Amino acid sequence: MQRQTTLGRIVRGTLLTLVGMFFLFPILWVFLMSFQTNQEILRIPPSIFFEPTLQNYHALISGRLETQTGTLEIRFMNNLMNSVILATSSVALSLLLGIPAAYAFARFKFRLGEDIAFTLLSFRFAPPLLVLLPLAIYFQQLGLINTYSGLIWVYQLITLPLILWIVRGYFEDISEDIEHAYRIDGNGWFKTFTHIAIPLAKPGIAAATLLSFIFAWNNFVFALILASADKQPVTVGALAFVTASGIQYGQIAASVVLSVTPTLALALYAQRYLVEGLSLGAVKG
Amino acid sequence: MTRKIDDLANAVVRRQLGRRDFIRRAGQLGIGASAAVYALNHAQSMAFAQDFDWQKHSGTSLKLLLNQHPYADAMIANLETFKAMTGIEVTYDVFPEDVYFDKVTAELSSSSAEYDVFMTGAYQTWQYGPAGWLVDLNEFIQDPAHTGPEYNWDDVLPNLRASTAWSGVPGEALGGEGAKQWAIPWGFELNSIAYNRRVFDAHGLTPPTNMGELMETAAKITKDVDGMYGVGVRGSRSWATIHPGFLSAYANFGETDFTMENGQLMAAMNTEGSKAMHADWVRMIKESGPRDWATYTWYQVGTDLGAGASGMIYDADILGYFMNGEGNAEAGNLAYHAFAPNPEADAPTPNVWIWSLGMSNFSTKKDAAWLFMQWASSTDHALFGAREMDFVNPVRQSVWDDEAFQERIAANYPGYLEQYQASAPGSKIYFTPQPLFFNLTTEWASSLQQMVGDQIPVDEGLDQLAESVNRQLRQAGL
Repeated sequence: MQRQTTLGRIVRGTLLTLVGMFFLFPILWVFLMSFQTNQEILRIPPSIFFEPTLQNYHALISGRLETQTGTLEIRFMNNLMNSVILATSSVALSLLLGIPAAYAFARFKFRLGEDIAFTLLSFRFAPPLLVLLPLAIYFQQLGLINTYSGLIWVYQLITLPLILWIVRGYFEDISEDIEHAYRIDGNGWFKTFTHIAIPLAKPGIAAATLLSFIFAWNNFVFALILASADKQPVTVGALAFVTASGIQYGQIAASVVLSVTPTLALALYAQRYLVEGLSLGAVKG
Repeated sequence: MTRKIDDLANAVVRRQLGRRDFIRRAGQLGIGASAAVYALNHAQSMAFAQDFDWQKHSGTSLKLLLNQHPYADAMIANLETFKAMTGIEVTYDVFPEDVYFDKVTAELSSSSAEYDVFMTGAYQTWQYGPAGWLVDLNEFIQDPAHTGPEYNWDDVLPNLRASTAWSGVPGEALGGEGAKQWAIPWGFELNSIAYNRRVFDAHGLTPPTNMGELMETAAKITKDVDGMYGVGVRGSRSWATIHPGFLSAYANFGETDFTMENGQLMAAMNTEGSKAMHADWVRMIKESGPRDWATYTWYQVGTDLGAGASGMIYDADILGYFMNGEGNAEAGNLAYHAFAPNPEADAPTPNVWIWSLGMSNFSTKKDAAWLFMQWASSTDHALFGAREMDFVNPVRQSVWDDEAFQERIAANYPGYLEQYQASAPGSKIYFTPQPLFFNLTTEWASSLQQMVGDQIPVDEGLDQLAESVNRQLRQAGL
């Protein structure tokens, strides 16, 4: 193995720092903005030196936003909680339905199997706006309008196809011989599925979970149309800081920091599974 | 103590005591200004309620759909008064403006009975009204069984009443014969100049009095003031780019968006006068507008003025009003000026945006909903909002005449009242009502972007725009 020279190390370090700064600077800037007042953010020219304040976070957590035209009541924490409920429940339901379905599509050949799988995928093709109006009418008739259960159902349009198709690919990549060997030992297909297939497909399930969680978390339009203000997710709630009397940049930055945190935490947690998944692909024969 | 303040408040209602004396005497009783104002407001509402049965729908529940706006905040701050007066329970959903009309359109187009009353703009009623989604409010306003004697509909500024009424026939004048009152004006904004007085004074500038001066002053600011550009106007690819300063100036030069020829609407954006006005506007933006003009909306235009990045704006007067408040670097430095761009025009012709209240045709509680609308658009509530909150600009003449309101505005917003008085007579909606309003006006903004971006010369761009607009009108059978 060739040893790296000192100059090489310095050049490499400098380049890595530059690339890192290029990608991370906007995030860092938003983070810094979250500790500044609107006036500091809007000063000309901008500066990275300021007196940090927690007032933006305080406004979000206390639910009271002071603007030049008075005090506004904001429901950001409620929005954040709604996002957690909707994204988590939708992904959980999709995992429950999608993983067995993915296994079935990967392992068993049955009539119209591919058509059904493709139909599920096609849910991702239709622009949400196209289906929202008929959905709103059906939801009114079914009493599902403005309910968490109705929204979680609709969120399946986002999360279920994603989980199903990603996990199906992983199941297909796992050698059937391992499962056959396990079944020869007298185990049924369900036990094979839970004890062999799922553990082996864990990296894929983790990747699909993370991706579908991010998609569900970022969804904007379903809750907007199908629910009242008290069921709105953080994506709609964050717009509350753009008011006729001005844009509250500090609060927007703080809300971005707070709303990114759950997804970031999940990504960090799932990272090791994702890396495992990549390595698995790399050494496979 | 409570009784004493109530007595004092009732004395104000009976006009035996002035408002200023009331606040002073309440202070002597150890009662804070906000508590005193609440007591006064309550007394006025109770007096308002005496000649009309406000309790006839007691026990009913209403749900409102509101845009996040100071007008909604003022109403929410006073809502307990309405509940106490009527016994009606009111809940509301507030949505940010960015998504508000998506929500309203979805609710109405799906025939939802979820909301009884909602905030709307006048332009939106051109779509909602003829579609059968709104109630014609004439049936309530004109009926003494539904409307109390104190309501005084005629007190609402005539141009605003007309601007929210339309027959539904494309091209027919707003407020004309057979017009249906699709909404009740609630608060409005007209378009004029708001400028940074600190900068103007420091550089010996005076507010412009015509288009030439506007361009000249803006160019001077861009050239002479470090880090500041001359004039902020909107530029995003949206109908909202056309309706403020741009259309106000356009109308002032006597130009119209459409003409009626043989019973057909015809685009009128490519007349010689229109081309000359467009050329000036485009040159002004290129020379002295914001660098990212094509992304500019209400928010950027206002934020730049408040932050000291622009020397003036030609936009909604209340945008300049809001930017003069705390939290802005230039708070207290802004001033206001009525503006007639055409040197030959007698007066300004500001196009207006009217936040209004509409009643859903799918509401199952229309009578109770009207009680709410009646109260929310009453003189009583308008006075509360104008004196204590930012329910500005008021739509009622009696509120503009109110001394307490005038004193408050004069003290904090120099030149605002004068700007209003000079602008108000000519302020109305200058668009021709027609159902393709949003699509065609957005295309107009897109065309303007191409002209500013030098993608197309002004003359050619307007000829193409007129051709495209006419084609779309014919396709829609208009």
